[in-house]
Amino acid sequence: MTTANASEGSATAARVLVSVRNVTMIYGGGTVALKDANLDIGQGEFVSLIGPSGCGKTTLLRLLADLIEPSSGSISIGGKSPAEARRDRAYGYVFQAPTLMEWRTVLANVLLPLEVMGFPREERQRRAEAMLALVGLEKFADKYPWQLSGGMQQRVSIARALSFDPQLLYMDEPFGALDEITRENLNLELLRLWRETGKTVIFVTHSIPEAVFLSTRIVVMTPRPGKIETVIPVDLPQPRDFETRETARFFEIATEVREALRKGHGYEVEV
Amino acid sequence: MSRFDPEARRMSLADNEVTRWLLFGLVFMTAWEVAATAYDAPFLLPGPSRIFAEFVRAPGLIMINAWITTQEIVLGFLIGSALAMLAALVLLVVPRWLEDFIFRAVITLNSIPFVALASLVVVWLGANTIASKVAIAGLYAFFALVYFAHKEMLSTDPLKEELLTSYNADFGQRVRYLKLPSALPVIFTSLKGAAMAAVNGAIVGELFGAFQGLGFMILDSRYVGNTARVFVAAVLCTLVGWIMLGILAVLERRFVGWHLEMTRQT
Repeated sequence: MTTANASEGSATAARVLVSVRNVTMIYGGGTVALKDANLDIGQGEFVSLIGPSGCGKTTLLRLLADLIEPSSGSISIGGKSPAEARRDRAYGYVFQAPTLMEWRTVLANVLLPLEVMGFPREERQRRAEAMLALVGLEKFADKYPWQLSGGMQQRVSIARALSFDPQLLYMDEPFGALDEITRENLNLELLRLWRETGKTVIFVTHSIPEAVFLSTRIVVMTPRPGKIETVIPVDLPQPRDFETRETARFFEIATEVREALRKGHGYEVEV
Repeated sequence: MSRFDPEARRMSLADNEVTRWLLFGLVFMTAWEVAATAYDAPFLLPGPSRIFAEFVRAPGLIMINAWITTQEIVLGFLIGSALAMLAALVLLVVPRWLEDFIFRAVITLNSIPFVALASLVVVWLGANTIASKVAIAGLYAFFALVYFAHKEMLSTDPLKEELLTSYNADFGQRVRYLKLPSALPVIFTSLKGAAMAAVNGAIVGELFGAFQGLGFMILDSRYVGNTARVFVAAVLCTLVGWIMLGILAVLERRFVGWHLEMTRQT
């Protein structure tokens, strides 16, 4: 069993892109959502944050995105503060709900960030069309979001997050509301996107198989107070496919994650 | 197929909206005419033919009055709605305490009986111009719209707001890309209410002090016992309201067609 201590949760290969140092987040009511978190994430990694509700995984993602500010500690994203990184459009955020604008067509939804960010008209169009093709939805460009299935909506949301070519992709349980079959298909598609675009992905989930299948490293978090319990590297070979889920190594790592989750308080976790 | 299949209640006689209105109009007018003839008291209930005859007696004079009232209604509606949208937007940017204060003022004003307010406006702005009537129509329209427009733009989906935060969008972009488009369906519904309110406001204003217009005509004709002309005025007011609703319905289809489509499909 290879468990790394949280403070040693360092990126293995490439240069460090995201660095979290002693970050604590206490909400207004006094709830300690995240306690003394330390984490380094390297360029091009696919890191999953896993844990039960209240473990601070979404809090950590929102801190990285500068949607909230930490009570103490520091975060660096490519040498910049999260606020600067947000202003520099360093990340695309994919929420649990697709969060598409119902009044915009699929293509217009992918165009939205490009319009807000002031890309020239032709480039906007070119990028948005390319992104829709990347997620395989070019035929649905003129449909409205509510005419699409939940899985397709989430693919639009991913295309939108990638449209302005951010370094980082933050994903907060993006497939949590989908059925298992759709989820596994989208997992595979996400891995393909990750390989093709070379983005650094930070992915929040409460599904162990999903985390193991997708990640290069898994950050196991535990609640009350939310903290990083351990970081587990995933050495499953790339590219991964449906068979990966049936290998012995897959189950070994899943077991390792499950035990780590149990160790920190033993709350029930979705398997 | 579901037992509660809504298709089962589909109308077979007339599929299109205009045809249905025409059919309704025909049935209604006939019934009215028959009832009026049977009742035989034209000073209480004149039938459509008698009302039309009354209109033909002095079409020029009646149309001049109708035109004045139409101006009051349309100007009042446009000014009142524009100010309501502006107020709804301003309320989004002012500090929280000021928003609270203004909102209390709006609610207080709104709870004063409009008729009392209208009589005051006539006193302030005078009975001999259309200004006082425009103001009253505008006031009616303003209150019909401001609350809902503000509430809708305030209560946008927090995730969509965060999405725009992640794009580093400024306030103007938030309004343009999120607040306004997501509030637009409700704004259109409220605008229809505001149009109806403006019709009421203009007539009420004229009842309190005017020397021309349909409201004045109602008052004047009533004094001399010309019930048919009161009906002419009422019908013309209704027509003005309908034309405004029609225009709004066309604009609604143009601008929030997606919403009509979405509610039909989902």
